Amino acid sequence: MFRLMLTTTLAMLPLAAGAQEITVGAANVTPFLDPGRDHSNVGSQFYYNSFDTLINRDHSKLESKWVPALATSWELIEPTVMELTLREDVIFHNGDPMTADDVVFSLNRMFQATFPPYVVRAKDRLGNFTEAEKVDDYTVRIHAAREEPLWETLISLQQIMIIPEVYTKALTGDPELAEDGDYEAFALAPMGTGPYRVADLQPGEKLVWERFNGFWGEIAPLERATVVQIAETASRVTALKTGEVDIITNVAPDQISLIERDPNLKTEGTATALFHVMIMNQNHPKLQDPRIRQAMSLAIDRDALNEALWLGKAVVPSTHTMEEMGALHQPELTTFEYDPERAKALLEEAGYDGFEITYDTAATYYTNGLLAAQAITEMWSAVGINGRVNVQDQWSGDDPEMMARNWSNPMYFSDPFGSFGVMWAPEGPSESEGRFNTDAEYAEKWERFRFSTDIDARKAAYAELMEEMKADPVVLPLYRPFESWAMKRSVNWAPMPGHIPYVLDFRAGSISLADS
Amino acid sequence: MIPYLARVLVKAVVTLFAIMTVTFIATRFSGNPIDTFLGEGLTTEGRQALIDYFQLDQSLWQQYLAFLRGALSGEFGLSFVDRRPVTEVVAERLWPSAQLLLASIGLTIAISLPLGVLAAVYRKSWIGSAVMVVAFAGYAVPAFVLAIGMILIFSYWLDWLPVVGSSTALHFIMPTIAMSGVLVAALTRFTRNAMLDVLGQDFIRTARAKGLGEMRVVLRHGLGNAAITVISVIGLQIAGLAAAGSVVIESIFSWPGIGQLLVNAAIIRDYPVLQFGVIAVAFAVVAINALTDIAYALADPRIRLGQN
Amino acid sequence: MANLTDAILPRPSNRTGNDRNIIQKAAILLAVLLAVAAIFAPLLTPFDSLEQSLLSRLRPPLGFERHAPGHLLGTDELGRDVLSRALYGLRLTLALAFAGAVLGLLLGGLLGLVAGLRRGWVEDLVMALVDMQIAIPFTLVALLVLAVMGSSLTVLVLVLGIAGWEQYARIVRGEVRRIAAQPFLEAARTAGSGPLYTACYHVLPNLISPLVVQFTLALSNIVILESTLSFLGLGVQPPQPSLGSMVGLGRDYMPTAPWIVLTPALLILLLTFTVQILGDWLRDHTDVRLRDR
Repeated sequence: MFRLMLTTTLAMLPLAAGAQEITVGAANVTPFLDPGRDHSNVGSQFYYNSFDTLINRDHSKLESKWVPALATSWELIEPTVMELTLREDVIFHNGDPMTADDVVFSLNRMFQATFPPYVVRAKDRLGNFTEAEKVDDYTVRIHAAREEPLWETLISLQQIMIIPEVYTKALTGDPELAEDGDYEAFALAPMGTGPYRVADLQPGEKLVWERFNGFWGEIAPLERATVVQIAETASRVTALKTGEVDIITNVAPDQISLIERDPNLKTEGTATALFHVMIMNQNHPKLQDPRIRQAMSLAIDRDALNEALWLGKAVVPSTHTMEEMGALHQPELTTFEYDPERAKALLEEAGYDGFEITYDTAATYYTNGLLAAQAITEMWSAVGINGRVNVQDQWSGDDPEMMARNWSNPMYFSDPFGSFGVMWAPEGPSESEGRFNTDAEYAEKWERFRFSTDIDARKAAYAELMEEMKADPVVLPLYRPFESWAMKRSVNWAPMPGHIPYVLDFRAGSISLADS
Repeated sequence: MIPYLARVLVKAVVTLFAIMTVTFIATRFSGNPIDTFLGEGLTTEGRQALIDYFQLDQSLWQQYLAFLRGALSGEFGLSFVDRRPVTEVVAERLWPSAQLLLASIGLTIAISLPLGVLAAVYRKSWIGSAVMVVAFAGYAVPAFVLAIGMILIFSYWLDWLPVVGSSTALHFIMPTIAMSGVLVAALTRFTRNAMLDVLGQDFIRTARAKGLGEMRVVLRHGLGNAAITVISVIGLQIAGLAAAGSVVIESIFSWPGIGQLLVNAAIIRDYPVLQFGVIAVAFAVVAINALTDIAYALADPRIRLGQN
Repeated sequence: MANLTDAILPRPSNRTGNDRNIIQKAAILLAVLLAVAAIFAPLLTPFDSLEQSLLSRLRPPLGFERHAPGHLLGTDELGRDVLSRALYGLRLTLALAFAGAVLGLLLGGLLGLVAGLRRGWVEDLVMALVDMQIAIPFTLVALLVLAVMGSSLTVLVLVLGIAGWEQYARIVRGEVRRIAAQPFLEAARTAGSGPLYTACYHVLPNLISPLVVQFTLALSNIVILESTLSFLGLGVQPPQPSLGSMVGLGRDYMPTAPWIVLTPALLILLLTFTVQILGDWLRDHTDVRLRDR
C-alpha cells in the first residue's frame, strides 16, 4: 500500500507539469468569492481570473490605458450619464448568455445596495452613482449624481464585476427575487464570465480554477490552476522546493536569497501599489497636541527601515502619492520627512513628559509589520519618546484608547481618490472611527479634489490636503512594501504594473509554462 | 455498576452544558467580530448595518437563549465569514484531525509501552537511563521546532517527504511524528512508573516465588495490573491532544483539521464556528473521558462491585 | 534472567556508582549553571537585549563568514545580540515557569485538598471543573483570555498557571482519598483530631513526593506551552525576549539564519531535560515505597 502510494505520487509529478497545470501555495486562501463585497488583500488575489469588468485596463502598463472588456464602447451622453454598448458573444460559466439585464443587476446590487456587506463597500467608492438602466439587450446607461472625473477608473473596479442575474437569484428562496441568502450562497458558488471557472472552492483552504472554453476573449493558457493555503513560511518555501507547488505567494525579503540560491527557482517582486502606514489618533487625550504627532512622525527614519527590512527595494514616498496615479502623481510635494532634531525640539515645546505611547500591530498580517513596529519604537526612543509595541489581532482603529498603529492604504484604483481619498475622506472610515477630525475647510478642499473636472485644480486641491496632513498629522506612509512571489524557473509569471495589489493574473499573455 | 454508569453519564451531560455556557460567555466577552474580520475602515452606518445583519445587536440573554434553542434542535447557525452552516464547516474538518490523532496514538502506543516496560525493568542500568533520556527529549522540544526541523531536513534538503496536506500515507509521516513526541514522552514515563509501582508489590513476589518465568511475571502480572493507570493516562492524553495539541502541527503541514479552524475562528471571532467547534471537540473529549471512566471501572474490581 | 532480578531487586551496592547517578549529578550541575546564568544575566550579557542595530541584522555566530565582531552567537532579525537575548530570555522564561507552576500548585492543590477532605457536592463540583478544564481546548482558552485581557506578563502567568491546575487537583484529591481510607487516620479521627490537623499532619507529608514530581513536570510543560503560545503570537510580547518567543518568532529564519532559533531551542532542551531528570531523581528519593526496596 505504502509503496503503491509512493509510486503514484512520484508518477503524477511529471504528468502534471506537461498538462499546463499549476499549483499555487498561498499564505492565505479566501473564505469566499464575491467581488462585490470583498476588498481585502486576500480576496483581491482571486477575482481577475473568473470575473470581468465592463471596461478593463491594459495591465501591462503603469499608466491607465482603458480597453474594451464586456463593454465594447462607451461614451458620455450627458455630463452625468454614460452609455455603454455590450459585447454580444459573452456567456457565463454555466452557458447562459450575458445581457444588459445581468449588467444592470450587477451594477445596481452595488449602486442601490440593500445587502449590508455591499452597502459598506459601495458607499466609500461608488457613492456618486445612482443607478444603471437597460436601454436594450446590449446597451446600458449608468447615471451619476454629479459630474464624474473618474468614469473609466470607477467602472473598472473589482466591486462591479459582472455576475449572472438568473443564476444568482435562483440560488436560494424565491428564484425571481434577489435575497440576502442568494448573495451569501453566491459567495460559495461564484460564477462570472472570465477565462477560468471556479471548479472547487474549499473556504480558507483551496481554490481550483479550470479553463473556461466559452470565454469571449483569448482562451486561457492553463488547463487548471489550484491554489492551496500554506500558512507557514518554512512549509511554503519547502513545498516550492520539493515541487509540490509551482508558485508561492508572500515571500518576505529575508527569504529571497534562500530561493535565489536554488538554480531551479526564482523570485518576482514589485513595490506593491499600497502603503504600509502608521496612523495616529488625533483624539487621544494625550496626543491632541499636533506637535507630539509631528514628532512621532519625524522621528522615524523610513529609509533606514527600507534598507534594513526591505533590502532597499521598498519605495519611501515624500507624500501620499504613487506613480500609478499618472497626471495626479505629485512626488514634488514633501509632506513627510525624517528629522530627529526637529522631533526633539517639538517634544520639548509641547512639554512631552515621557508618557508611554503604544504602537499596535497584528502579529503577522503585514509583511515585516512586527519588525517595523519594534524598529519604530526604538527610533522613537532615540528622540526621547517612550514607545511600546502592542501586539493584538483585532482591529483597534476605532478604539478611543488607540494611540498609534500600523495599517495599509491600498490603491483600490489608480487615482489619489482610490488610496488617500477613500481612507481620509470627510465622514469617511477614519473620521467615523473617531481618530480623525475634519472641518468645513478640509471638506471643501476634499470636494475640489474629488470632483473638479480640471486636472490642475485637482492637483492643487490635493496639495492643500497634504499641507493639512503635514500640519496636523494623522498618517505617515512608511513605504510601498516590496512583495515577492517565488516560482520554478519554468514558470513565466510576474505581477503586472497595472493591477491593484496582489492580483494573481493567469489570463492569456500573463503566464506561460516552459515545456522543459 | 449501573449507578456508576448513570453517574458517569450525568456528569458528562452536565459538563457539556457547562462548557456550552462558558464558551458562549467567553466568546461574547472577547470582542466584536466586526472589529476583527471586517474591521478596517468601516463607516459608522456601515458598522451598524453589519451589526444588525449579523444579529449582534440583541441582548446577550436573547442571543444565549437563541443559541440554546438552536443547539437543542441541532441548528448551530451560519459562520460569519463564509456563511455556511457551522455543522458543515466543522464536520469536514473532523475526519482529517481524527486520522492524524489515531495515527499518533497508534505510533505512541507502539513505542511507549515497550519502552516503558524496559525502563522499569532495567531501572538501575544504562538501558533504563537511555530509554528515559530518549523519552525526555519528546518533552523537551516544542512540537513546532521538531516539525519545522523535520521539514527542513527531510523535505527541503533530502526531498524525501511531501509537506502539504493529507492525501497520501507519505503525508502522514512527519505530522504524526511531530504530534507524537510529547505523547511518547508522557506515556513512556507513566508506563515506567506504573510498572515500578506494580513490580514492587507482594503479589509479584508471590508470582515469582511460584516459579513463573520472569517474562511472564513482568508482562502478565506486571503490565496487566499497570494497565489500569496506563489506560487512564492514554485517555487523558488523547483528550488533551484532541483538544489543542494539533493546532500547531495542522498549521505547519497545511492539514485541513479542526485545530487550525478553531484558532482562526477565535482570532477573527467567528462566534458560531468557535462555539460549535468547541462543543464538538468537548463532546469528543467528554465521551472519551466517560469511556475511560467505564474502562477504568471494568478494570478495577472495587468500582465494578459498587463500593465507590 | 539474573540481570532482570538484579534490576528489580538490586543489591545495595548497585545504588551508588551507576550511570544513572552520573546523569543525575550532571543534571544537578546543569541546573545550577542555568540558574546562575538566569539570575546573573544582566552581568553576563555583553549587550542590552533590546538594543537594535538595523545595519547588522542576521549576522552569524563567531567563526562564520560575515560574523559581526562582539556578537558571539550572532544577531537576530533586528540586529540584536542573540546571546544577550537568550540569557535574558532564560531569565524571563524561568520566572514565568516558576510563577505559573506555583500558581497551578496553589490553585489545584487547594481545590484538590478541599475536594478530597470534604467529599460530597464540593468534590463533585471540583471534579466537574477538572473535567471541563480537560475538555475545553486550552489553546483556545488562552487565545480568548489573552484577547479579552490583553497580553501582559501578569495575564500570561495567570494563563500558564491555569493551564496545569487540574493535574495537581487530581493528584491531591486521589492521594487524600487514599490516605483517608487508611486505618491510622480512622484512629486519629476517633482520637479527636479535626480535619485541618489531619490535613497538615497526615496528608501533606504523603503528598510531597507526587507534588514535587508534578511540579517539575509542570515547569517543563509551561516552558513548552509558552513557546507554543509564542508560535500563535500570544506569548511574551516583543521586543521582550523569552526562550519561547525567540523560537516562536524566529522560526521563519530557520532555513536562512538558524542560529536565532538554535540557541534558545537548545536552552529550552537543556532546561526541560534538567528539570525532568531532577524530577525523577526527587521521585526516586522521596517516594517511601521505592526507597524501601
